[in-house]
Amino acid sequence: MDKRCISVILGGMLLRLLLFTAFPSLPTLLGNRVEISTPVTSFKRLQEGLFLYTHGVSPYDGGVYHQAPLLLAFFSMMPSSAMATNLIYIIADIQSTLALIDIARSGWSTKSRLHESKRKEMAWPAWGVAAAFLFNPFTIAACIGRPTVVFTNTVILTAIAKAIQGRPTPATLALALSSYLSLYPCLLLAPLVLLSYDFLLHCHSTTLLPTNFSLSKFATTQVTIYFTAVACLLGLSYLITGNSWEFLASTYGVHLFLPDLTPNVGLWWYFFIEMFDPFREFFLCVFQLHLLIYAPGLTIRLRKQPLFVCITMLGILSIFKSYPSIGDTALYLSLLPLYRHIIPLMRYSFVVTSAILYATLLGPAFYHLWIYAGSGNANFFYAITLVWSLSVTLVVADALFAVLREEWEVEGNGREGKPVVQI
Amino acid sequence: MGLLLSKRLATIRPLAVLPFLSALCVVVGITWLLLLPLDSYSRRTYISENALLPGQASAYFGGSEQNIFSAYRHEAAELANATDAKRVQVLGNIFAAAGLKVGRQKYSYTASGQTYSGENVYAILQAPRGDATEATVLSAPWKNLDDIQNIGGVALVTTLARYLKRWSVWSKDIIFLITSDSLAGPQAWVDAYHDQHTSNPGVESLPLKSGAIQGAIVLDYPSGGNFESIHIAYDGVNGQLPNLDLVNTAGNVALHHFGIRPTLQEMWDHNDSYKDRLRTMLRGMVNQGLGHARGGHSVFVPYHVDAVTVQVHGDGWHNEVSLGRFLESMFRSLNNLLEHFHQSFFFYLLMAQKRFVSIGTYLPSAMLIAVNFTLGAIGLWVDSLGSSPPLPLTTTSTEKSTSHTTAAPIERDLFLPLTTVLVFHFLGILPLTLFNHLPTHLFTRTFSAFLFINLVLPFLLSSTLTSLIPASTRERQLKLIKCFSLLFLGMALSALATLNFSLALGVGVASAVLTFIPVEGNGKVVRGVMYVLLQCLSPGMALVGIACYWGVGMEEVLREASFGWWVSGMWTQIVVWCVWWPAWLCGGVLLAEGLVGWRGVEDVPVEEKKKQ
Repeated sequence: MDKRCISVILGGMLLRLLLFTAFPSLPTLLGNRVEISTPVTSFKRLQEGLFLYTHGVSPYDGGVYHQAPLLLAFFSMMPSSAMATNLIYIIADIQSTLALIDIARSGWSTKSRLHESKRKEMAWPAWGVAAAFLFNPFTIAACIGRPTVVFTNTVILTAIAKAIQGRPTPATLALALSSYLSLYPCLLLAPLVLLSYDFLLHCHSTTLLPTNFSLSKFATTQVTIYFTAVACLLGLSYLITGNSWEFLASTYGVHLFLPDLTPNVGLWWYFFIEMFDPFREFFLCVFQLHLLIYAPGLTIRLRKQPLFVCITMLGILSIFKSYPSIGDTALYLSLLPLYRHIIPLMRYSFVVTSAILYATLLGPAFYHLWIYAGSGNANFFYAITLVWSLSVTLVVADALFAVLREEWEVEGNGREGKPVVQI
Repeated sequence: MGLLLSKRLATIRPLAVLPFLSALCVVVGITWLLLLPLDSYSRRTYISENALLPGQASAYFGGSEQNIFSAYRHEAAELANATDAKRVQVLGNIFAAAGLKVGRQKYSYTASGQTYSGENVYAILQAPRGDATEATVLSAPWKNLDDIQNIGGVALVTTLARYLKRWSVWSKDIIFLITSDSLAGPQAWVDAYHDQHTSNPGVESLPLKSGAIQGAIVLDYPSGGNFESIHIAYDGVNGQLPNLDLVNTAGNVALHHFGIRPTLQEMWDHNDSYKDRLRTMLRGMVNQGLGHARGGHSVFVPYHVDAVTVQVHGDGWHNEVSLGRFLESMFRSLNNLLEHFHQSFFFYLLMAQKRFVSIGTYLPSAMLIAVNFTLGAIGLWVDSLGSSPPLPLTTTSTEKSTSHTTAAPIERDLFLPLTTVLVFHFLGILPLTLFNHLPTHLFTRTFSAFLFINLVLPFLLSSTLTSLIPASTRERQLKLIKCFSLLFLGMALSALATLNFSLALGVGVASAVLTFIPVEGNGKVVRGVMYVLLQCLSPGMALVGIACYWGVGMEEVLREASFGWWVSGMWTQIVVWCVWWPAWLCGGVLLAEGLVGWRGVEDVPVEEKKKQ
């Protein structure tokens, strides 16, 4: 690793340490923000669950704790001081950065097996991508607020990095762990398997691979590994929660059925507050299926760039999943710099950046008016979460447009700079 | 999904229109504001919450209560030079004699090397028909804002405590509160009531508490004798306002049931003309924009407790009995509330006792002014691309050229402009910390030095910037610096307009000139004139303006600001030093760049020729 990467990592680490130590009330303040902590990731709820767990009470009894049982086991083994916890979060962010650096150094975003960009020179060096992640205000806020989504992000990034390093089994295992932690990353399975497959095929000449190496066999193996790993994790959880399956309903059930309507930056809470009960099940199905349909479509259309499918899926999840937070958006926004070379092809970069910044400022203001000042109401905050989601949607759509356009340019000569219309 | 080639779209450049559009936004925004006092744009006030029934209950205060009032007034006058402990003891005894539970609270705050300390005393009338889940507050400071002993106010509160105790109609507890002073005392009490005082060890906890406070009325009646009108003060800290229903109820009860003329914003003679309405509105906006505490009621508002201060004014035929009846009637109305004030407006501008505009009508003016900055930013963003010599469209004609040359010119170098703007904003922390931490006696000198630094700092920074930016991209980089600065200003102001409309509007109007600062071209004379104009519209000069408006020295203004920061939790300073000042500084640097460091527009083409 070069000096620049190391200095970026050190800088990011020092900044986080400084924020944790110089402003001791900041973690609680940020941890209580609905934009950062959701019912399924909140650190406060984790502490509550931990307390119940270490005192021999089922953490899932009170309806407060909705996170994975292994997190309890992990945190109960760690020293309970605040500094130790903060360090765990910092280490998680650094591990994410290392994974990002691996992804960036592989250059897989510009030159993969099936696709080679003509704009390769524009790609950012690894340290730039690392800096964009470590110094992104959303990432910092998510790290200081200590939601457990930080760990999910780390594991997802590790999974992608392993896939690009040609180690499919660790990649699949990491993805299994992230799905175990927060369910929705399971939608990344297909693009991740393709990513591993492409890499293996590209980097090892066919002689090195087994003679009967084919996508279907490879995929079958990986999917089997994935489900076995998930089953093992669930079994382990069953054992540590005192031989009870209670945790399933309290963790994945909450993701799926949305019993807790605490506001967040997503689109679900307000919609389901307003919903008449008879329609609730129907719309829950619609909302969940809506998330599901993107995965096959993107995987097929962007067959040449499975890495971008993973990134786009993460962006879509950060908008449409049941309990999104800015930690999810931070993950998406810090993966985008890998595709630095397509940014000139994006059409709304200025508008979208402005809209995201506007929403960032107006969100807390409107939440304040609603909750503290009492002079506003829920519609204020909901309106701004709509703007937020709309702007992230625009980023996702625009990046997708740019990638498609670039593929189109690569397919034929002389297509650069020609205006196109997307239908 | 597919990508199709289409005809090259004609490139229309609306850039030339944008500056005019920006100017139009500013003009329309200000005109909009000036139109508000007209009959067609403002509305008549009305009571929205039916439960209030203002003035429907008969008030019986009078008769022998007047003698008791006189007795308490004498008691209060005798305590004029007594110590805090003695005073609290006597007042506590009076409350206890009326059969109320009494609590005391000591407090002490430090701001800018000055200590504000005292002791509050309060009593709780437990509602015969309530369950102690809700309460209302009647308060009088021992000394009012002008540091005059509030003899009449304290006497009337004690008299009413004794009188109201006899009624069996109360369904909400009534808390009678006598604070040591007008700002720090109520703040300490309200903080402690809501358990938010723990960060300050100087503030004691309250020994007695009641339920959620539904409304509060603060009485400022120093004369204790006859008066002509009452003045209703309603501005909360940070520009938050109490529900309009409370203000209207006070005005309505006073005027229609007791014939007491209510006044607003110190407009003692209001003849309901356009001019008077406008002045009332502007005075209200100045107070709201500054966001400082203007009396005991101000500190209640941030806790979502609707509160007003009633101050007596002038010399007329009303006396303590009218005021007592007015308060009795007000508390009967508050007592009627079925739920927290919520019906009427929380965002409004009052321009006469009977005339107001609500947020939907006035917000566009501040938003238009904020939009002017965003339009400027968009213009500069597009412009920073267009001014680059090799346009991407021209290279497409040579289709065989590599893609890198076509892609490169679209790129803007964002790193330096972004860093510059961020550094400017972080610089704002310096004056913020400085003016909140300095001891009071250093204020005037430091402020003069600060004004001088403001005069030269743009030149210093611009020379630093000149050495950092390569000459070939200077114009584009400067445009981007201005673009980001304006973008952030526009965003911050539109977010602020929802929290404190007047502050957003004030800062917006004062910095409107920033949009029109030229980045390129223009003679030095124009730039010199603009620089002088900019210096006159600086945040520092705004503080001088406030000092002149209040008729006090700079030290007093800065002391008040520091008091607001440390005691009232006011955040106007953050807006001034971390939003306005950096944007202003950015404008100054751009002008200075042209006055000193600019190499002249003519030089640029020469360089390009060399390259070719």
